[in-house]
Formats: sequence, C-alpha cells, structure tokens
Amino acid sequence: MSEISKRAVAGVGVLVLLALPFYATGFWLQSGLFAMAAVIGAIGLSLLTGTTGQLSLGHAFFLAVGAYGYVWLSGPAGAADGLTGLGLPPLLAFGLAVALTGLAGGLLSPIAGRLRGMYLGVATLALVFIGQHVMLNAHTVTGGYNGRSVPPMDLFGFALADASPQGLLVLGVPFGGLERLWYFGLALVALALLTARNLLRGRPGRALGAVRDSEVAAAVMGVPVARYRSAAFVVSCLYAGAGGALLALVFRRVVPETFGLVLSIDYLAMIVIGGLGSVGGAAAAAVLVTLLPQVLTGYADDLPLLARAGSGAAGPTPGEAARYLYGAAIVLVLTLAPQGLAGLTRRRPRKTLQEHTP
Amino acid sequence: MTAAAAELRVDGVTVRFAGLTALDEVSFTVAPGSIHALIGPNGAGKSTCFNVLSGVYRATEGSVHYDGRELTGLAPHRIAGIGVARTFQNIVLTAGTVADNLMLGRHGLTTAGFASTALRLPKAVREQRRHRERAYEIADFLGIAAHFEQPVGPLSYGDRKRVEIARALCMEPRLLLLDEPVAGMNPTERLAMAATIAAVRAELGISILIVEHDMGMVMRLADAVTVLDFGRRIADGTPESVQRDPAVIAAYLGQQQEQQKEESA
Ligand SMILES: Nc1ncnc2c1ncn2[C@@H]1O[C@H](COP(=O)(O)OP(=O)(O)OP(=O)(O)O)[C@@H](O)[C@H]1O
Ligand SMILES: [Mg+2]
Repeated sequence: MSEISKRAVAGVGVLVLLALPFYATGFWLQSGLFAMAAVIGAIGLSLLTGTTGQLSLGHAFFLAVGAYGYVWLSGPAGAADGLTGLGLPPLLAFGLAVALTGLAGGLLSPIAGRLRGMYLGVATLALVFIGQHVMLNAHTVTGGYNGRSVPPMDLFGFALADASPQGLLVLGVPFGGLERLWYFGLALVALALLTARNLLRGRPGRALGAVRDSEVAAAVMGVPVARYRSAAFVVSCLYAGAGGALLALVFRRVVPETFGLVLSIDYLAMIVIGGLGSVGGAAAAAVLVTLLPQVLTGYADDLPLLARAGSGAAGPTPGEAARYLYGAAIVLVLTLAPQGLAGLTRRRPRKTLQEHTP
Repeated sequence: MTAAAAELRVDGVTVRFAGLTALDEVSFTVAPGSIHALIGPNGAGKSTCFNVLSGVYRATEGSVHYDGRELTGLAPHRIAGIGVARTFQNIVLTAGTVADNLMLGRHGLTTAGFASTALRLPKAVREQRRHRERAYEIADFLGIAAHFEQPVGPLSYGDRKRVEIARALCMEPRLLLLDEPVAGMNPTERLAMAATIAAVRAELGISILIVEHDMGMVMRLADAVTVLDFGRRIADGTPESVQRDPAVIAAYLGQQQEQQKEESA
C-alpha cells in the first residue's frame, strides 16, 4: 500500500473506533475493550519475542500482576470480606499497577539477561504456575479461587463502568461507564502503539534487533547484550501490566483461571500470526484472536456445526472453534507466509538476511 | 572527533579449544596509524585472533593492550567503547535499512534511552538526526549513499561488505579490524576496495589490521605483515622481507601457488 492510502485507511479506522460507542451494543463494546487489552499485551510480547528474539511463556503471569495489582491498589481498604486494598484513586492505581509489573519483570531481569531465546521461554514457564499458586492462595489480596471484583476506572469524577450512577446522554445516546471506558482503552492503545513504534525506530529498537539478529555483532558494535535483553523483558512487562489492568477493568472481576498457560500461548499465537517483529501485525492479530471467539459466540445459532457453550450439544463450542481456527492460522503463517499479517501490507517480500557468501 | 590512533600490542596470546590450539603464543604490534596485515593459510588462526582482539573469545593465555589499556577480559562492548571496531569474515548485518545498520554503529556514541525514545523527547530526536547525518557522510565515503534508505538484504555482496565497513567506521574507531574485506569480490571490486581502505587510513588516520588472502593487495597496502601458520607466528616484518622468508613461502605462498595451479587446471 502507498503511504497515502495507508494513512487514509488508518484515519477512517480511527474515526470508526471513535464513533463505535454510538452504535455498538454493550456486548461488542466489551469485546472490543477485551481486544484492546490484548493489543497492548501483544505489543509488549512482540517487542520481547519478535524484536529481541527472547521467548516468554510467562506473559500471562505479568498480565495477572497488572490485573491484580490494579485491583489491590484501588480496592477498598479493610473490607468486611477479609480483602485488603490500598483504596488509591483508580487512575493512580492503574499507573502504579503498570510500574509494579515492570518491577516484577525487573526482579527477573538477571535471568532474562542471561538466558537466550528458548531457554528463557522454559524458565518463564514456571512463572505461570507460581502465579496460579499465589492467586489461589493469597486470599487477602486476590480473593482466592473466586477472585475479586474490580473497582471501576474513574476519570475526573466520571466512573468508567456500567454501574455508573450518573446518567449521561451524548447526542441522544446514553453514555454509560462502558462507553467511557472505551475511550480510555483507545487512548491506552494509541499510547502503546506510538511508544512501541518510537522505540523500534530509535536507538533502543536498533540495539534490540541487533541482539536478535546477531548477539556477537551487537556486542562488538557496543551494545551491552545482557542489559538490553533485561530491558526488553522489563519493557514487555510494562505493556503486559497495562494490558492486564485494562483486562481487569473490562472483566469487572479477576479470577485466577483467566491467567493460565493458555493465555500465554494465546499471546504467542498473536505475535506469530501478526508476523514476528511487527508491532502493527501483532496488534491486528491480537484483535483477530480475541474477537474470533466473540464473533463465533455472537452468531453461534446461525453458524453450522457450532454448539452453544454449555448447551451439551455435539460439536465444538465457539471458544474451541476459534482455537481450531487460529491454530490453523498459525500453521498457515508458519508454512506459507512467515511475515504474518504484517507481510500482507508490504509490497515486496523482504529478503532474509541469510548469507550467500562464496 | 576521536582520540588519535594508538599502539596495539598482542603479547603471547594462546587460544585453546578442546584439543586444538588455534593460537600459540602469538605476539605482534600494530603501530599507530599503520596498515598491518595478518596473513596465513586457512585455519591458521587469523579470525580467532580477531575474536580475541574484539573480546568475542577469551585468550587462554597472554594479553592484548591498546593505548596502554588491557583488553583481555573486557566485554566486547567495552572494547568497542575504547575505539576498536571490526568487520566479520562472513558478513553479519542486522535486518532493516543501510541507515539502520550504520546507526547501530553509532550506539556507543549516543545516549537516548528507552523512555526518551518512546516519548520522542526532543533531546532524543535531535541526537538521532545529528548522528544520521554523520552516518550518511560515512555511507557517502564508502560509496553506498545511494542505498542509504534501502533494506540491506537485497544489496549486492560487494555493497553489503561496504555496509559492514561503514558500520564499523560509524563507531569512529581508532583501530579498525577488517576480516577478509575483498574475499569473494571480482578484480575490479578488489581494486576499488583497496583504494577505499587506503583512503580510510589517509583521511581518518586510524590504524587498520587486515586479514587478507590476496597477496597482491597485502603487498600493495600493508606497512607491516604478520604471518600465522597452525596458530604460530612464523614471520613478522615488512611486506618485502616476509615475501622472501622461506618459512612463509613454504607454508603459505607455496600452498597458494598450488591452489592457483589447481584452479587453472
Ligand atoms: N569456536 C571454535 N571452536 C572450536 N574451534 C574453533 C573455533 N573457532 C575456530 N576454531 C578452530 O581454530 C582454527 C583457526 O580458525 P580461524 O577461523 O581462526 O582460522 P582462519 O585463519 O581465520 O582461517 P580462514 O582463512 O579459513 O578464515 C581452526 O582449526 C578452527 O576450526
Ligand atoms: Mg578466518
């Protein structure tokens, strides 16, 4: 696509996204917000795995830190049900939850700096299980198996949740908390996309790409390889923290089950389908992977072969069907289009850097 | 822009891999501002020597000093910071454009961090712009300015070799290590590259240590030559003296003549 048509498409896309709360139902707004959280998380993983070449299976853990971090920081203090919380203003709690997740990543940075590629993947696998254990057992913070409800986002006195008491009409459309949370989510996505793009075009992005392409070349060019690997890990955690906290706001309840290994795999699927190393591709694939089950659920009755979730009828549930579909998408990408979704918008296939030295 | 070239002193460097001595007590000195050639048959240990000098391999014994500072034991990025840059025998570039690769060479000379880059702070933007201008100058010097914005993947072999040298020069080094800069090139490209290397020394005044199999080029360019064979230094001196050295003729030149005979046969 030419630069101009790309811009036009992006412009129209932004307008549609801004107008959506005036037309879409709550179900679709919620699905969209869910996709936004995934986009932010996937951008983080894309920077770590796609750009730096470091595998992480622990992404779900860091999403959980962001989600539970937000809930605990903003949750009511000294509540009757034995739950603790700091009761901070939601926006502050959101920012601190992101910082907390970065800190959690920082604690692991000695490992993240030393282990390369696959080995980091194996090491971070353990995090998911440790996370599950903590979420199930640290009752006063997490609420245990049943989880805990999420205090709504609150900006300038407006609660950004469905149960908002203030009735607000915009252009004749009731503007509940979900609609307003939509714009908060959009702003976050824009920030995530912009910062990631800036990083990739600047000095740190070049260093990270060099670490992926050739550790030795990066090092002799003056890049402290271990330090940059650690930094990439922390940065990916910051994005995961923001994605996780937004996820909590959308779900309105956090439960341990959400943050299992399957979630980590989902994120890996997103960045593979998007085309490793491409932030835009990862974002697009995040939308695809999260919305597919929702679309299938929304139209389950009209689609052949699909059973309604929990109906006990034969056939895959929408969630399962979506997994099969994007499982197939991964196979297709890996075999036919290694550049993923990102490759579809590029005119020429980029030649790989395989050497053909005589 | 950079500090003046200084002396490189390699002292009794030994490198052993499991069961194999790749370098055996090798010593030589590269005079400031000179072009010094390191030659020897395949497997003699030339690239291993480069890897020790740039910190990629650790010497089992011996030491390397540059400008009075010990390099042995330093991490590669620290050695880069002292002003030692290198190219690789097999081109090693990173994905992206020529400009991206050259800007990687500016890494140690720039400071923009994650936060300032992510937020596009004016300081980071300005720094990037300034260093990009210098990178373009260097690309121009190497004759690849026309490809500055192009991806490196599709470039010709010779151009990619030049990108690698330009990237090394972007570090504003005081000592440049070139591992077989003309290998795989045709005679015209070889001559052009030899002229470029001579120009680098003349204009930048830096020292150049060069590994090269092309004896004609070595004799034309080098001020001094060190010859390795099976990891041992078998000769060291001016190109003329080395060329006459019987040990060298036996180990290296003879072998090359044989090769040429085979090729012409
Ligand atoms: N990392 C390594 N592990 C084991 N052996 C190695 C390693 N690197 C080099 N060697 C061995 O050390 C010896 C010297 O290799 P080196 O690459 O330094 O030779 P060279 O002089 O550069 O040869 P060429 O002209 O073919 O490039 C060879 O026998 C090689 O197999
Ligand atoms: Mg070699």
